[in-house]
Amino acid sequence: MDLKLIQKLVALMERGKLSELEIEDKDSGLKVRLKGESAFAATHAAPMVHVVHGGGAAAPVAGHAPAMNAGVPAAEVPKPVKQGTTINSPMVGTFYKSSSPDAEPFVRPGVRVVPDKTLCIIEAMKVMNEIKCEISGEILEVLVENGAPVEFGQPLFLVKTD
Amino acid sequence: MFRRVLIANRGEIAQRVIRACRELGIETVAVYSTADADALYLREADQTICIGPPPGKHSYLSIPSIIAAAEVADVEAIHPGYGFLSENDHFAEVCRSCKIHFIGPEPETIALLGDKVAARELAKRAGVPVVPGSDGPVEDEARALSVAAKIGYPIMIKAAAGGGGRGMRIARNEPSLVTGFHAARAEAQNAFGDGTVYLEKLVENPRHVEVQILADKYGTVLHLGERDCSIQRRHQKLIEESPSAALTPQLRQQICDAAVRVAREANYHNAGTVEFLLSRTGEFYFIEVNCRIQVEHPVTELVTGIDLVQQQLRIAAGEPLQLKQSDIEFRGHAIECRINAEDPEKDFQPSPGRIDLYVPPGGPGVRLDSHAYSGYRIPPNYDSMIGKLLVHRPDRSTAIRTMLRALDEFVIQGPKTTIPIHRQVLSHSDFRAGDHDTGFVERYLSQHPRIAQGKGG
Repeated sequence: MDLKLIQKLVALMERGKLSELEIEDKDSGLKVRLKGESAFAATHAAPMVHVVHGGGAAAPVAGHAPAMNAGVPAAEVPKPVKQGTTINSPMVGTFYKSSSPDAEPFVRPGVRVVPDKTLCIIEAMKVMNEIKCEISGEILEVLVENGAPVEFGQPLFLVKTD
Repeated sequence: MFRRVLIANRGEIAQRVIRACRELGIETVAVYSTADADALYLREADQTICIGPPPGKHSYLSIPSIIAAAEVADVEAIHPGYGFLSENDHFAEVCRSCKIHFIGPEPETIALLGDKVAARELAKRAGVPVVPGSDGPVEDEARALSVAAKIGYPIMIKAAAGGGGRGMRIARNEPSLVTGFHAARAEAQNAFGDGTVYLEKLVENPRHVEVQILADKYGTVLHLGERDCSIQRRHQKLIEESPSAALTPQLRQQICDAAVRVAREANYHNAGTVEFLLSRTGEFYFIEVNCRIQVEHPVTELVTGIDLVQQQLRIAAGEPLQLKQSDIEFRGHAIECRINAEDPEKDFQPSPGRIDLYVPPGGPGVRLDSHAYSGYRIPPNYDSMIGKLLVHRPDRSTAIRTMLRALDEFVIQGPKTTIPIHRQVLSHSDFRAGDHDTGFVERYLSQHPRIAQGKGG
């Protein structure tokens, strides 16, 4: 499920004045629920979806998002249906799953993690920050593409805790 | 002109900058903390990035987070607004080293003018009067006493790195000077990590008059007239207006010329404000330069018709000013009332929380800069200002009447606000006569401990 698709769905919901929409993606097994909730009157419901602003992984911030989808708060994160705990980004920056482009990723689905294990790198101000695990469990899913911009509080990994 | 600008601020000033950018066709990137995730102004931005949790030092004051967001969003410039990082020379320096334009003066200028002792020396070099004082740090008690004897009591003891009233003491005689000197040093050391203090003559019951400056990178320095900000409470401005009722045309010319000389001496560019104390007898003294857009800038926008935030963006992008001093004309009278979520009946304590009903005023001559709305939750983490209500009318008394009418129309249910105290001040005969000073509010509050909350109070 990419950003463009979510934007299209949001636009459709707006036009149809839908307040709630649930989609299941068979490939990823992700279920996404878009919920219209707005400070405006109920008839003017603007869907609140959390997206990684600035586009997909290949070209961060290629074209800027249309004004409508701006200002989407981070609070309303579409909850993956898979059971688990999310590990959220402690900072804004660029997400890297490995220490160098040709290196193995630090973690992948199925890998067991323990506190202090490096999960990924987030680059901020030219500094490569190693993000360490604080819980024990098994990685179910990596929620962010390599090289994608991430913001504070954005879920990065889905973990089945012990 | 810039293609994309990041706004490193929140609330009404973030909204104000977004508006200016949109009118200039500049894309905007708004950053926000999780406490501001619901704010509606974020929807006006082209892109938004959450930069951290509610505490300012982890979000709006976090230089790494803001620079990372600027790099992720690939912006050419950062507008710092006011407060937060707006006068942080280190931040301006980091922006420069990251090849991002900081919308404000150079880091060296910010550092120089941020040092009160250095700024005072600069004003003297520019031939601008300063309040008689110690001309530099006072290291010990004996020197404090000899300086005080020379300039005469009452004396103000001030922290070199100070602000917001901390590290400040008034001394009316030698014993109070000795105790105040040590107390101010200790307080400054604790608050700013720098215990340096200096002494100044206390100008009693002054007016606060400041001059708006616009300067480009090619040596053009213009003034946009003055603002009178004498209605303050504990050094926090409540009401600002232009023109000042206390200036004669001659005095206005002198004070505006002085401000231009200070800006030139500092190699200042972008928008800035030179603040002065005006004594009852018409002497004015330089206080400081504010290297940022100020809260009360719309007062000047109304009387001059010049969009200051757009000018800031143009100057930072390297455009020369298209205006000459003779192009700047002053029309009518403008007043601003700061609408803060504070309870005037409980010593102005902050009153955050949900706004149940919000009905803004309107009609002829009214401007409202506010990010609030019905259902908005005022976060407890930041300052309490939720809006600026302005009026622009042909003359001062009409402006006061329009402001009273607009304040009556303004409905904010839920949090307590400063609306009642504005009504009281605007209805007061001394204010109406233009015969007020920076001590007005505190004197008034001591005589009227209860501010009626009801309409017309």
